[in-house]
Amino acid sequence: MRRTGWIAAAVALAIAAGGAGTWLIGGPTAPPRDLTDLTGDVNRGAYVARLAGCIPCHTDSEAGGAVLAGGGPLKTEFGIFYGPNITPHETDGVGAWTLEQFAAAVTEGRAPDGSHYYPSFPYAFYTRLSDQDIVDLWAAVRSVPAVEGRAPPHDLAFPYTVRAGLGAWKRLYLDPEPAPADWPRGRYLAEVAHCGACHTPRTALGGRDADRRFAGAPTPGGGTIPAITGAALTEAGWTVEDLAYSLVSGVKPDGDVYGGAMARVVQGGTQFWSATDRDALAVYLFEGALGAPITEGETQ
Amino acid sequence: MTDHHRRPRLAALGLWAGAGGAAAVLAAGLGGGAVAHVGATGVVKERMDLMMEIGDATKAIADMLRGTQPYDAERMRAMARRIEGHGGEAMTSLFPDGSLDHPSEALPAIWTEWERFERLADLMADQAGALARAADNPRGPMQRGGGMMGGSGIMSGSGMMGGGMMGGGGPSAEDLAAMPPDAAFRHLAQTCSACHEAYREEQ
Repeated sequence: MRRTGWIAAAVALAIAAGGAGTWLIGGPTAPPRDLTDLTGDVNRGAYVARLAGCIPCHTDSEAGGAVLAGGGPLKTEFGIFYGPNITPHETDGVGAWTLEQFAAAVTEGRAPDGSHYYPSFPYAFYTRLSDQDIVDLWAAVRSVPAVEGRAPPHDLAFPYTVRAGLGAWKRLYLDPEPAPADWPRGRYLAEVAHCGACHTPRTALGGRDADRRFAGAPTPGGGTIPAITGAALTEAGWTVEDLAYSLVSGVKPDGDVYGGAMARVVQGGTQFWSATDRDALAVYLFEGALGAPITEGETQ
Repeated sequence: MTDHHRRPRLAALGLWAGAGGAAAVLAAGLGGGAVAHVGATGVVKERMDLMMEIGDATKAIADMLRGTQPYDAERMRAMARRIEGHGGEAMTSLFPDGSLDHPSEALPAIWTEWERFERLADLMADQAGALARAADNPRGPMQRGGGMMGGSGIMSGSGMMGGGMMGGGGPSAEDLAAMPPDAAFRHLAQTCSACHEAYREEQ
């Protein structure tokens, strides 16, 4: 009896461990979205692409690459990522995808084959997108010319090469919920534009440190990505108007001009925003971000 | 952080193949610090001073275009001419091969992509000269007009994300000189940005 008991316990334990492992490796699932009744609008979607910063990472502008056909290197603390080809090319792009697969990629970081994307693809932010924005974005993505060719594979440091870890990462850091309807526009923009992807420091596991939202972070080159909290910006002598102006012009209040990744953000994204949206983001960063409960804003 | 989050965190620590230790070492090595121009000597100091002067002129121009200072065409011309004079060879001559002494923020890519670097420095001078000529033009919006997604079908329009913004194939100096100063300045600032992105270490 005693022996049988041991075996039963061992089997139960193995099942439990297996279940936990599967639970971890599988990662979380986003709440289902019913997108079937919505109609995508290409022009609105192009604007969403500008808000979400799709182009800077999925287009190699510097090398004269075609739109969304794959990006230049994105250097991070964890290695170098290359945004893939997301033109409607049948095999090299997303030409064979369905809207549902696109939504799962964007809101859940899940590829059509079920595998996980690295969080360098900021789905932890895009999961806040509204249903209509997702459908519009998909229409815009479908509208660009299909281009052959694939981006180089990511060049990562161990242990980040171990993709099985990504499910666990998602369990920790992905909270796949759309933005509540009562969010102010600036807050929605800060999420979708994924400011926190660079300006919030990360833990050793690559999750954002919720206690230090927008507090700045190190660059791989030994520099510093500045803090963009209202307090930090004010201390640095910036005003709401300075920030909004820098997002259209790239020019900082001291006359310096953005370089680094922020140059790409402005050139590929924020310079195309409406003045209203740039103002809303600037106001939110200065006045709203501190008071916003992090559990709803940034993923946690 | 709640208990709900703490438990999977522990499991994940084990799961991610020793990520904790390796990554902590990695992260610790990445702490940076702001480096100012303090301590610069020789050619590095010269070009840092040059950049500071360009920055001061850029600020003066931006302040007028933003309306934080009254618009003054005479001053606009003077500031734009100053930038023009600091571009081209005046700038590139301050980047002798491999001059990376502390506290230089220059990236070695300058010398592996010297022709592009030169092209951007020339472009800066040309665009600043055009801005000087545009100083008396009627004012206009800073931002590119509604054409952003217009007509040509969203992201395919070459103007919107084409090479022009990154330093090649933009409007000619003649075109710029005919634009509102606001628009001409935007192109100049994009050239600054393209060069900084490629050739300056962000501190």
